[in-house]
Amino acid sequence: MERRELLRGLAALGLLGSWPMGALGAGDAGDAVSVDELPELEGELTLYLGRGEGGLYEDVIEAIRKRNPKLTLNIRRGPTVALANTLVAEAEASAQQADLFWAVDSGSLGLVSEAGLAKPVREEARSHLREGFRYEDWAPVSGRVRTLPYNPDRLEPKQIPESIMALPDTDLSVGWAPAYGSFQSFVTAMRLLEGDAATRDWLRGMKARTRQYAGELGVVMGVSRGEVDIGLANHYYTLRLKAGQPDAPLELAFTKDDAGSLLNASGVMALRDTDLAHNFIRYLLTQEVQSYLASEAYEIPMVEGVALPEGLPEAASANPPSIELTRLADVRPTLTLMRDAGVL
Amino acid sequence: MTTRIPAPLTSMALVLLFAAMPVTALASGEIGDHVEDLKAHLGEYDSEVKDFNAKVDGLVDSYAEKGGESVNTAKLIEWWEDVKFHAAVEVNYVPVYASIWQGIYGVKEAIDEGKAAAEVRKQQRALEQAMWKGMGAVMLAAKNQADGGTSEGDDSGKVSGSDAVDRILTNLDEVTIEYAENESEEATEIIHNTYLNLFEGIEGALIEQDAELVEDLEKDFNVGLPKLIENGASVSEVTDYVKAMKKKLKRAQKLLEKGEQDKKDVF
Repeated sequence: MERRELLRGLAALGLLGSWPMGALGAGDAGDAVSVDELPELEGELTLYLGRGEGGLYEDVIEAIRKRNPKLTLNIRRGPTVALANTLVAEAEASAQQADLFWAVDSGSLGLVSEAGLAKPVREEARSHLREGFRYEDWAPVSGRVRTLPYNPDRLEPKQIPESIMALPDTDLSVGWAPAYGSFQSFVTAMRLLEGDAATRDWLRGMKARTRQYAGELGVVMGVSRGEVDIGLANHYYTLRLKAGQPDAPLELAFTKDDAGSLLNASGVMALRDTDLAHNFIRYLLTQEVQSYLASEAYEIPMVEGVALPEGLPEAASANPPSIELTRLADVRPTLTLMRDAGVL
Repeated sequence: MTTRIPAPLTSMALVLLFAAMPVTALASGEIGDHVEDLKAHLGEYDSEVKDFNAKVDGLVDSYAEKGGESVNTAKLIEWWEDVKFHAAVEVNYVPVYASIWQGIYGVKEAIDEGKAAAEVRKQQRALEQAMWKGMGAVMLAAKNQADGGTSEGDDSGKVSGSDAVDRILTNLDEVTIEYAENESEEATEIIHNTYLNLFEGIEGALIEQDAELVEDLEKDFNVGLPKLIENGASVSEVTDYVKAMKKKLKRAQKLLEKGEQDKKDVF
């Protein structure tokens, strides 16, 4: 299958839910722009950068710096949620310092957006985003989808339920990492889509059949080792493991239209309405940066015309739910609920 | 002044700050104002090191002459915890601080297990070396402190995979320290935080180069080392396990450095 066909396949199978069909395939907007088409960045910018992706965001920033010697880029780094809270606190104290916020999860962007600090994304950047990803006040940079990695030596794909809510009723053993941030976003999505009571029941039902891991790469490795039949993890852990161990018994499955196939994204927002801040965002959405994040971090590019990372299954059949990603910011009720259910 | 850092901070966050921070707190117990003016106290530390070594020497002499019943090895820990130098080295150079604890337990366990005097002497020499190494670290820190050296803080720049491994190595030293101090819960917490906050950040890149090594280290972080602690293994067993992990991590560091070189350019 050609790459473009795969993209179409993913889209046709409804990978996007609220992220419309076709969004991962060819779209009606222009393809990603090359960095060569962008103006040189000149002046001073302060970026608040949530840590993530094992330093690959830093590589992008370094590349932008090198290419724009007249740009003075000040960076404040920290855990994404902490930076979001700092931004809100600074604004309340009329001491705003940041021009931009680049966050590893959209929930933190939601916190800042709700505080009314974000400036609208300009059309020159927005029009290149995949349809359905064109938000008003933030630009998704790269995405990751929740998946069910499974061990084909232990089960057939038909044994995997299409609904995440049905998983406790199967006889499958499941690996999960409840302490992991992405897992908690997934449970938050479930809470929002299914309600607290159903989510609590699901967590309690799962407990009996789960094996706990500290992180989601551990989950995926546990699946490939045959410790469990199936796992709950972001897609890129499987792609990375397969890149290191091409023969590992590991495949990806997706649930349909529920939290089990949540598509979450990192993103950037302008906090000052300046050409410089908006042009910085355009650099992050270039063909070059998007391709880099797809090939090096296995993230899903958010701009039209950029190939998906190698290794996504040819027969991918995901159908993410309709959910406003920035609503995932409110993780506290989720943690309370997880504690109630005895999984944290 | 005495301060004790809340448990969550005694783990990774504290270790990360050790290197250049003008320290006002101590991971394992009390702190004195003296650490804020190391230079003025170098003479005192020097006397304490000599005195401590002399006491250990006397204890080992007794053991060699009269046997295990003539000595109380718990005194080794008491003497170490009593000296101000303890705080000075702990806040300035965690790896040596770990070596000192390992040396103390090396002597203690050799005596408690009734080993030959020659073996106890061997452990004593290692302990003395660690003490003097610690003194060297404190002298260097005193000079930096007097010169006005400060931390760049956590916002100073990119943490490469290789840097992350350095931090993991330091944290593993801290695990052995906490365990030697009977702080099993804190030792386990450091392991967990180190895995989540540091190892997880590098394993993605590492797994493509050596998946078996990652798998091995995953087991070390999530099963091997926590289980040893949970089962109350001896300090030397934990230390040996950490040593083996560090060897694997050094290999990982080389792979990450090579990976950095091979990484494609963004533009």
